[in-house]
Amino acid sequence: MSEPEIVPPISPATRRRGAREALMAVGVAALILLIAQGPSIRRTGERLDPGPIRFAVLSVGRPAGWLGDRLPFADAVHSVTAFLSPDENLSTAKGGFSEAVSSARGVPPVTPDAFDPATDLGARPGPRRGLRTLLVTGDSMAMPLDAVVARRLAGGNATQVIRDPHVGTGISKSAIVDWGKLSIRQAGRDTPDAVVVFIGANEGFPLAGQDCCGAAWAAAYGTRVRTMMNTYRRRGAARVYWLTLPLPRDPRRQVIARAVNAAVRAAAQPYRAQVRVLDMSALFTPGGRYRSNMPIGGENRLVREADGVHLNEAGSELAAGAVLRAVGQDFRDVPGG
Amino acid sequence: MSRPALWKPVMLVASYAFYGAAGWTFCLLLAGITIGNHLAARLIARARTEAGRRHVMVAAVALDLGVLALFKYYGFFAQEINGVLDRVGLGLSAPLVALAIPLGVSFFTFQAISYTVDVYRRTIEPGRFLDVALYLSFFPHVVAGPIVRAREFLPQLATPRDPRDVPVGAAVGLIALGLIKKVAIADYLARAVVDPVFSVPQAYHAPDVALAGYAYAAQIFCDFSGYTDIAIGVALLCGFVFPQNFRRPYGALGFQQFWRRWHMTLSRFLRDFLYIPLGGSRGGRLFTARNVMLTMLLGGLWHGAAWTFVLWGGLHGSGLVAERLIGGRLRTPAWLRWVVTFHLVVLGWILFRSPSLGIAGDVLGQLTDFGPATLWTVPVVLAVVAVIGLQLVPERPIEAFRLRVESLGPAALGVGLAIVVMLVAATVPSQGVPPFIYFQF
Repeated sequence: MSEPEIVPPISPATRRRGAREALMAVGVAALILLIAQGPSIRRTGERLDPGPIRFAVLSVGRPAGWLGDRLPFADAVHSVTAFLSPDENLSTAKGGFSEAVSSARGVPPVTPDAFDPATDLGARPGPRRGLRTLLVTGDSMAMPLDAVVARRLAGGNATQVIRDPHVGTGISKSAIVDWGKLSIRQAGRDTPDAVVVFIGANEGFPLAGQDCCGAAWAAAYGTRVRTMMNTYRRRGAARVYWLTLPLPRDPRRQVIARAVNAAVRAAAQPYRAQVRVLDMSALFTPGGRYRSNMPIGGENRLVREADGVHLNEAGSELAAGAVLRAVGQDFRDVPGG
Repeated sequence: MSRPALWKPVMLVASYAFYGAAGWTFCLLLAGITIGNHLAARLIARARTEAGRRHVMVAAVALDLGVLALFKYYGFFAQEINGVLDRVGLGLSAPLVALAIPLGVSFFTFQAISYTVDVYRRTIEPGRFLDVALYLSFFPHVVAGPIVRAREFLPQLATPRDPRDVPVGAAVGLIALGLIKKVAIADYLARAVVDPVFSVPQAYHAPDVALAGYAYAAQIFCDFSGYTDIAIGVALLCGFVFPQNFRRPYGALGFQQFWRRWHMTLSRFLRDFLYIPLGGSRGGRLFTARNVMLTMLLGGLWHGAAWTFVLWGGLHGSGLVAERLIGGRLRTPAWLRWVVTFHLVVLGWILFRSPSLGIAGDVLGQLTDFGPATLWTVPVVLAVVAVIGLQLVPERPIEAFRLRVESLGPAALGVGLAIVVMLVAATVPSQGVPPFIYFQF
């Protein structure tokens, strides 16, 4: 069996070397990166889901990060390359969840914000105002919901839709993106009249020393959610539409999703006047049973992505319909509202 | 590979561990495909009659295509068939399920087909099980190619690699170039222009939509060829040579030329295992045109279960057929042929990138809606012009520069690679690096 002709990826004039020199080139690169990028490797590991890959990355990243913290190179590289970064600093630090969460003494008072006048008290709904700015945010769950909502609102009315999903992030993992800090940034920057939040694909990380997904974890998670809701509602100036998670296919992820959904419902209680919890679990997974397809307009259609977590385009159309109906109850001239 | 007996099992375990990181259950599928095709190849070699050989080959190819059809196309076709049945008043419906698509299924099934069919055609002898398993799972190409033929890979396993003959400079250079293409260019263009426009085309006017078309052409080239560069570079470091997959495709002066330069290993596979078995050009013009169209439509569908991919294949098929029909009758200057070919390719990319036919229509419709340009920034335009322009300038100076870089000493190469990684890493947003586009195929 002779070697057949291959369209070569390299020039015949390319210089050949020994395998030891190959190891040396790779070794030099690895050594420099360990010294100068150790904290980055550690951060990357910390944002990974628990599992063997996280373990492997952290096995390298923790000692490399420890070394990097004690040497000036990581800071120097960061200073030199900072101009290339497309991000604002949104990692846990000043202004994040750690500062926002305070311990209240005694019994917290019930405020008027805890009541939705129309549904809870039977009051006549007030006049609906115009919707100028709508922010759609969250993690990968918010995609392609954000695009579907933007497309539906693109036809002629004056609503500006700001799409700001942060893929791979989570409320229970703040190493890279602290949603406490990010939500303050979003609310201050965009001052949206309404905020649609769909997040929860990457949750389950330990919170306040509690592993997921008992009552203590749900309480800690709910406190963070409540902090964000309070930020987004801007003292009653804005409405928040928080979508619960449709249950994922994986039974282990279902446990997390149930805890997240329970925490969201509990978190919204003090702000029922401004915060609407939209139950995607009941819509897509009624009875707590996962399904990848459901009838839409008389046709049976797939609504979930193959990963068993996210909504596909058709599912996002359904979710967007529910969102716009809810938004339409608070704002005028919303298509489908 | 001074100790092949030890190296092969170690590399096989490492390849399965790499692949299993995406989901260990997929490893079972890959192992199943390996065992099925290995047994089929053995049976083909032992069969006493041509008919027997043929039956086994057909069964093995049916197994491979069945896996591909089940995981990749079942949901799409079941939904389409149900829709048609509903419209004609028949209440029957195929059960709908969204199966998790195994990573790289399109690539390793095609490689398995190439192995079995090449054994059937007596191009190669059946390999040893360990060799076949390594061929199908070898980590640099298992996820997104290039589609390496068994007759290219298995002979390299048969003879020990020479540890004194490693193109270190070329390998490190390719890995660095691939990182720059993927992270610094492709992902940047996606964030800055392509994703916003293709998500909500109604929000943008003609100048931005046109820019998004050009930017996507640059993005998909950098994304896919960047992956290929990294795969080829890593394979070179392991002592293996993969075939080239891209060769300045946007310099093509026609569709035939384009397909000799774009995803070359797929073009070669489609030619050898679809176009020629269909009859190739061994008939009249209509017969050849039919074969070209069928090949390109199926080639389009290979990319994904959506009508946009079929239409994209149809556009390229029409271009190829038109070139064959016109072939030499029209004398047009080279620059005009380039302009027409390039813009038709970009039109194809608009179909390819659009999440649905409706959105493709919206994007194309917005091309007639003139208004202000909001996305034209200097970095974006520079990136697009550089990616496309570098494919039009003469190759020799670029090649000379590459050879100079490749001839650097190992320490300098290591330092250079580390600097590239640090610079590229600085451009990564907090959301991380999105997967390579071809991972979904």
